[in-house]
Amino acid sequence: MSREVKFIAACGAGVNSSHQIKDAVEAEMRKRGYNVKVDAYMIKDVNEDLLSKYDGYLTIAKTDLSFTPKIPLIDAGPILYRIPAMAKPVYDNVEKVVKEIN
Amino acid sequence: MSINSLFSPESVFVSEKTSSEAIFKEVSNKLFDEKCVKEAFFSEILKREKLYPTGIDTSPISENLPNIAVPHTEGEFVNTRLIVPVALKTPVCFKNMIAPDQDLQVKFLFMILNNDPEGQANILAQIMDFLRLTPVSKLQKLFNFTSTDKIYQFMSENFKK
Repeated sequence: MSREVKFIAACGAGVNSSHQIKDAVEAEMRKRGYNVKVDAYMIKDVNEDLLSKYDGYLTIAKTDLSFTPKIPLIDAGPILYRIPAMAKPVYDNVEKVVKEIN
Repeated sequence: MSINSLFSPESVFVSEKTSSEAIFKEVSNKLFDEKCVKEAFFSEILKREKLYPTGIDTSPISENLPNIAVPHTEGEFVNTRLIVPVALKTPVCFKNMIAPDQDLQVKFLFMILNNDPEGQANILAQIMDFLRLTPVSKLQKLFNFTSTDKIYQFMSENFKK
């Protein structure tokens, strides 16, 4: 199997949205044959140093960060609806990042 | 653990308040009396909603549904795992969770109390599935109930895994 690709998902409380996105992205990428790990965080804990440990950042809303992340940002909010047609473009963007790394 | 234990008949609200802050105050006070949340819950949920709003635009599910919101705090400010339904007599403005610059008129809240985010079915995912899979005509009825008993009964009967 190819190398594990690591994403971070962050939301306000680090409880609900980020965990839902983590579960959905990990499951879908497994289905597509990739080795993807997502860690859920609170937005307030996200900083440059933390992001440097990840290959991509799954955001729920356009969040103002005090710095410009060096890793790709993927708008993952539409996943929350659990409507396949809304989630697919997000998964495709995740897959694009994964493919570039492997 | 029965799925119905995600709802408690004492923790259901019909609010006449017209601002999110007044609604949060009313609900937090009662939840604190019931020992469901810690004392800081009110200030935390207020702060969090301002920084990271939780309004959900339901139009991708159906054009005929009013919008909802899913206010919540970090796990450390609650003592339980519960969905608290709050019907709003008057729609109240919340910001959109995935597009925070957008205002939404919200008619119903599913407040999420979750002291155990790991290891169990995701509550937000369960709420979204409930909205997506329950017929729109039934949801419209739910969102317009003015009796907490009716809301509790509806959620117990219709909220599935």
